[in-house]
Amino acid sequence: MLRNPTNRTRTRRLVSAAAVTATALLLGACSGAANGGQPAAKDASITVAAGDITTKNFNPFSSTALQSTLGVIYEPLYWYNFAKQSDPTPVLATGYSWNAAGTELTIKLRHDVKWNDGQPFTAKDVAFTFNLVAKTPALNPSGLAATASAAADDTAVLTFKSKSLMQEPAVLANQAIVPEHIWKDIKDPTTNLNDNPVGTGPFKLKSFTPQSYVLTKNDQYWEAGKPTVKEVRYIPLQSADAASAALVAGKVDWASAYLPGIDNIMKSSKDLTYVNTPVMTTVIVTCANSGLGCAGPQTDPAVRKAINLAMNREQLAKLAGGGVAGVGSPTLLLPGRDDDWIADSGSAKLPQSASADEANKLLDAAGWTKGSDGVRTKAGKRLSLTIQTVTGWSDYILINDTLKQQLAAIGIELKPSQVSWNEWNAAQTNGKFQLSLDSVGLGASTNPYFTYNSKLATPNTAPVGKSASAGNQSRFSDPAVDAALTTAAGTTDAAVQKAEYGKIQAVIEDQLPYIPVYVNSMLTEFNTSRATGWPTKDNPYVLPAAWKAWDAGIVLKTITPAK
Amino acid sequence: MRYLLRKLAFYVVALWAALTLNFLIPRLMPGNPVDLMLSKLATKGPVTPTTRAAIEALLGTDANGSLWVQYGKYLHQLVSGDLGTSVAYFPAPVSQIIGQTLPWTVGLIGLATVISFLVGILLGRAAGWRRGSWIDNLIPVTTMLQSVPYFWLALLLLFLLGSTWPVFPLNGGYDVYSVTPGWNLPFARSVVYHGTLPALTIVVSSIGGWMLGMRNMMVSTLSEDFVVTAEAKGLTPRRIRSRYVARNAVLPSISGFAISLGFVVAGSIVTEAVFSYPGIGSALLLAVGNNDYALMQGVFLIITLAVLGANLLVDLLYGVIDPRTRARS
Repeated sequence: MLRNPTNRTRTRRLVSAAAVTATALLLGACSGAANGGQPAAKDASITVAAGDITTKNFNPFSSTALQSTLGVIYEPLYWYNFAKQSDPTPVLATGYSWNAAGTELTIKLRHDVKWNDGQPFTAKDVAFTFNLVAKTPALNPSGLAATASAAADDTAVLTFKSKSLMQEPAVLANQAIVPEHIWKDIKDPTTNLNDNPVGTGPFKLKSFTPQSYVLTKNDQYWEAGKPTVKEVRYIPLQSADAASAALVAGKVDWASAYLPGIDNIMKSSKDLTYVNTPVMTTVIVTCANSGLGCAGPQTDPAVRKAINLAMNREQLAKLAGGGVAGVGSPTLLLPGRDDDWIADSGSAKLPQSASADEANKLLDAAGWTKGSDGVRTKAGKRLSLTIQTVTGWSDYILINDTLKQQLAAIGIELKPSQVSWNEWNAAQTNGKFQLSLDSVGLGASTNPYFTYNSKLATPNTAPVGKSASAGNQSRFSDPAVDAALTTAAGTTDAAVQKAEYGKIQAVIEDQLPYIPVYVNSMLTEFNTSRATGWPTKDNPYVLPAAWKAWDAGIVLKTITPAK
Repeated sequence: MRYLLRKLAFYVVALWAALTLNFLIPRLMPGNPVDLMLSKLATKGPVTPTTRAAIEALLGTDANGSLWVQYGKYLHQLVSGDLGTSVAYFPAPVSQIIGQTLPWTVGLIGLATVISFLVGILLGRAAGWRRGSWIDNLIPVTTMLQSVPYFWLALLLLFLLGSTWPVFPLNGGYDVYSVTPGWNLPFARSVVYHGTLPALTIVVSSIGGWMLGMRNMMVSTLSEDFVVTAEAKGLTPRRIRSRYVARNAVLPSISGFAISLGFVVAGSIVTEAVFSYPGIGSALLLAVGNNDYALMQGVFLIITLAVLGANLLVDLLYGVIDPRTRARS
């Protein structure tokens, strides 16, 4: 589709300065194709396609910080891999233990770690970070309420007010540790842009402009021999079109974008490769709980079950998933990665074909009778549902359109609607919807507690009209589920947790507050001409999306310059 | 003098009306910034009920006050030159983002508009002077190019000249790999080189209007009595063309030009989106997507000021170049 930039004669027709630069650029591009872009292959520099980088914000507490802040410049204590089930990887810590009551977390820290300004990293920095978070509500999105102290140079102790075992991932893997000697002098850590970031990560800031910034290797990095890539450049590419063109032109080495027809794009260059790591399940969120104000036929569990049964997921995955979607699980977990957490292995995977007969029977039994126009009615109400998604989300729009036909077969009328992201989000958080397509986001760790707690727990929901931004947008509420979550949160015993999750799984498979469709693809594209060692399908050592906090640091210190 | 004062008073009222609308319209949009930020966070990691409190504390509870309180605060801030803090780029101030993106937009779209106007007027003058010549036949071509949807034309040119024959770069404001921004020659060259294709698309798609308007005005002015008089006096055709006909024919185009200069700031969103150009249009797009009231208001304010300013300038200039429009004083 796209050709290599070799046609140089054309530029002669251009005038003046443009021609001069054009030729220079084309020459650069030509040599780029020949020897891998950068002159010295030994300490290659690579380019990452980032989102918007207009503001120089390296504040690790800020939710709008540049994407390299977490993981590349600042590091957490531990790092969790979401691509596969594995033990936490120690980063700045080497071990941790809870006291019996689950109120005190003792963390052993790594020796010989230095901040990139040369100062040593100690337990004081860890204690300072957690105390800063605890005393500043605006920095504390996970509701951490721990006081921290440094018991020794390599030991930090966090004391919680109540049993807080489930705070573990937030403490260990979701908090960047900042240096006390810098941050103690920062007056307002919420609005500070931290334009000269001092971290422990494998890279440090070299130069910044709103259109590109460069990180350079941290020579004092604690892990011997890493990183080997010398420089990392971030450039803003906000659309998939731009990312695709830049990849083909060899301008970026690492991009995360859904590219339709990705196999054809990859074929255009031998250096390009990609990996698909589906981890987020696409679900139909139903406003299920009439007790909290939801209205519409979807509040009847029979209707939700019928939709689930009538769904031909094979067709949906082929048409809307582009052939790269994964098979989902009725437990909302990830088949494969989370098999150990699925109590009933029989329900690990979703049925892929439709069973319209069963769905029809179910609806008949529930009192929905077919009307003259083929749509069922009950007590004068038509079985007509509106499903919303965001304008421009072409795959989700396709799901809705396909589903409309699939559900028409069992007498359900589905009305797809497309709204702006704002409107979609507002409707969903405020409960002013019937059905809505969304995906289950990442939890704090791969422990199902975080998904279940956010999506199903009563404290995380709100009546219709109030914002349920904590995640339970279905307005689902079930005392048995709440009790199971409380029990699971109070233990570190995986077997006990699994038993509790089994109870929850039985409820949600029966109630279907969220009707899973498939596991959405997550495509990440790499160029192997300048660096190798990128994550692959067989070795998903990280969740390689360039926007994923923390994982980027692991990737950048693992890849090595191409020979 | 009274003419001037009356004009100024009118512009003050127009400015106030624009500022008020500017305040109201973003608030009629669905959603609010806190929920938005939360939902974005939720896709990347865990969100708990306390997250909401944290974000509210972070952004300030500004968005919850009554509309009148917010309006008062808004006007007060404007007067003191404070455009507020952006939510999308939190905690960067809006003025910084506008200051950073505006030069790119003004440089690209402004220059392209001026070039398009000048070339269009000159071609239109020639076409009107020599009706039926090849230049006259150019008009259908240029109007056809203008009627093609702009985004499509831009994408097509980008595909052809950026990907198929890589004569021009694909995106960006300059070559981020090799030059450093500042007052140096390589940077200036790179900016010109990166701006050429976007500017070309704007010129190609807008030149038809100027040309057609100027040509038709030339034709109607040529049939005026004073042209016949001038010819009868024996003036040279050149003098008649530029001093008698073109000067009168260009007047409507000048007011059109002023309006389009005012919209330079606003009309750039599609161009900037297609070419990933780092201008104010990209910032506005992002602001709308994030319910970033402060940034939206800031950008709208700049647009309003630009349009009103351009109009005022032309109103004043018109009095000079066309004495007929001056009020009886």
